[in-house]
Amino acid sequence: MEVMMLLVYDQPGVMQRVMGEFNRKRINVETIVVGKCEMPERARIVLSIEDKDRALSVIEHLRALHEVIECDLVDHSRHEAYALLSSKEGVCRVTGTVEEVDAIVKRSQPERFIQAMNAI
Amino acid sequence: MMKGAKAAVELLERQNVQVMFGIPGGVLLPFYDELAQSDIRHILVRHEQCAGHMADGFARVSKKPGVCIATSGPGATNLVTGVATAFMDSSPMVAITGQVATGVLGNDAFQEADSFSLMMPVTKHNFRVTDPKDFPGTMEKAFLIATTGRYGPVHVDIPTDIFNADITDEQMKVEVRIPKPKRNLAGLLDAIKLLEKAERPTIMVGGGVAWSRAGPEIIRLAEMLMAPVVTTLMAKGSVPENHPLVLGVCGMHGRQVANYALNNCDVLLAIGTRFSDRVTGKLSEFGAMTKVVHVDIDSSEIGKNVKDRVGLVGDAWTVVNALIAGLQKRKKAATWKDRIIELNKQCTCDYDLRTNPLKPQKVIHELSKLLPEDAIVATEVGQNQMWALHFFKCYGKRQFITSGGLGTMGFGFPAALGAKVAAPDRTVVDIAGDGSLQMVSHEFATAVENDLPVMICLLDNGWLGNVKQWQKLFYGERYIATKFGRNPDFVKLAEAYGAEAMRVEKHSEVAEAISSGMRSEVPMLLDFMVDPEEDVLPMTPPGKSSADCIYGRCMWKGGVC
Repeated sequence: MEVMMLLVYDQPGVMQRVMGEFNRKRINVETIVVGKCEMPERARIVLSIEDKDRALSVIEHLRALHEVIECDLVDHSRHEAYALLSSKEGVCRVTGTVEEVDAIVKRSQPERFIQAMNAI
Repeated sequence: MMKGAKAAVELLERQNVQVMFGIPGGVLLPFYDELAQSDIRHILVRHEQCAGHMADGFARVSKKPGVCIATSGPGATNLVTGVATAFMDSSPMVAITGQVATGVLGNDAFQEADSFSLMMPVTKHNFRVTDPKDFPGTMEKAFLIATTGRYGPVHVDIPTDIFNADITDEQMKVEVRIPKPKRNLAGLLDAIKLLEKAERPTIMVGGGVAWSRAGPEIIRLAEMLMAPVVTTLMAKGSVPENHPLVLGVCGMHGRQVANYALNNCDVLLAIGTRFSDRVTGKLSEFGAMTKVVHVDIDSSEIGKNVKDRVGLVGDAWTVVNALIAGLQKRKKAATWKDRIIELNKQCTCDYDLRTNPLKPQKVIHELSKLLPEDAIVATEVGQNQMWALHFFKCYGKRQFITSGGLGTMGFGFPAALGAKVAAPDRTVVDIAGDGSLQMVSHEFATAVENDLPVMICLLDNGWLGNVKQWQKLFYGERYIATKFGRNPDFVKLAEAYGAEAMRVEKHSEVAEAISSGMRSEVPMLLDFMVDPEEDVLPMTPPGKSSADCIYGRCMWKGGVC
């Protein structure tokens, strides 16, 4: 798993343009988080894709976009999982490594749950 | 204070726009009303696609961004092909579309299409103006982006209410900046070492060299290295094809000696080219034994198709000059050069074919012989283009304009008109096929109306010839949907629009017809009835390497390329 971080202008159409590059190269984005960041009128996109070669193949194209200010791979990242469990006692939120969250979900046998793998 | 429409005209004038190509429409009326007061020449086309191609042709000749304009909805969708063509060939363009008012955007208003999204993947960048105060800056940026770094089309989508909104003088005094294109010459020393050690160097030049006008420097470098120069389709005309080291166009339908030099060199210096599949053939076999130095202005091209190379990021002119400066101490070993020059002589076949039915090569031969040294030749796409690429000789100030990347049939005629607008004193010729010409034949009206006397040399074989050739070679001669059962009488068609026209059926009449075409003061169509059985050969089949080349009439004896 490779995590990529982009600094972009915070305006409509940016996500479409960035995702367009992934789409053209047939790269599936595993997970993505977008939000305003510490700089005004800028947003940060953090996303992950499976294959390093493919990540490298798209990175120069992303840098060439006029709405992308920075684009880099992030070292030393790890994938985490996230789950919401609901039972009689109420709703409980779990985060941790994929294995940890899996184990907790299995152990606590909630009535309903949702789980997101590969969160960043 | 002024209205957006007036601001738009002023912003175009500020960019020294002297001509624009387009068709008005409902949402553009405020703009056109202001344009009438301006000195900007507006050329009314008959289909928006051609507005794009004309702006493109204009840009390729003038090296300034071409401007085209279309209305919302169908105007914008029609324009997409013209913009995409410019995008694939890195041609600078500013494409303007009108849009429905911001208040109804997204509500399926009359003539609404999401042209912002439609244009996104086929432009270098695009804008949708939603706030009048951003409008001046957006227009400035559009021109700047189109002409900075690797050229390309920029699209600006302007909702009609922006034309009616107030824009202050303060807002008009905008200064915009965009990041400078990065240059990376860290590999320069490695590149020089490779080139100095090379025993069989070859220089391959692409469209980037044509755009940065680095031809003379390329020749200097070639002479220093004793290296043959091969060009891609896009670079045809950027280096003089009568120079002994220039071998002409390589690739699928290229000259065999060019492919030989490309595939048998030990160091390949590739400049301003993206290693298209039409040049490399089977990518895994391309340059397997070759060390590649890849120079491109666009860093994302380095390593995209050909891996493991020395990459230099910068514009062709700058990098070539840096290489020349670094290569001063080069020892000249002439054996490779001599061998290539010898092979080049053997690759010069006789295509002055005096047979009837008329052979298309004969038409190109006469054009090559008769056209002045500053002629501009545009081509359509298909067999006509490949015959022109293979047999037409570009030297002196001759220029070759063609849709290389997107391969847009119907490009040549409107591009020739755009070229004629940019260079009214030069002879402009469109080498056409009957399939391509029928996609844009309505532009005879534009040509006649705007007094653009271009010559259209129609290689008329009654087929979609290139597709037919593939059906013949790779689909067991099963010809499906490639024969035109009933073509119009092209002579009458051209005459109906007020152009001159002439039908040519014998080889002995070709030269005279071309001479009269060059003398004509109105657009002139020469309908050459060429042999439908003639294929474009030699040909390296798609996805194959040169070892599988089909030679046909080609006499190449130089061995496997």
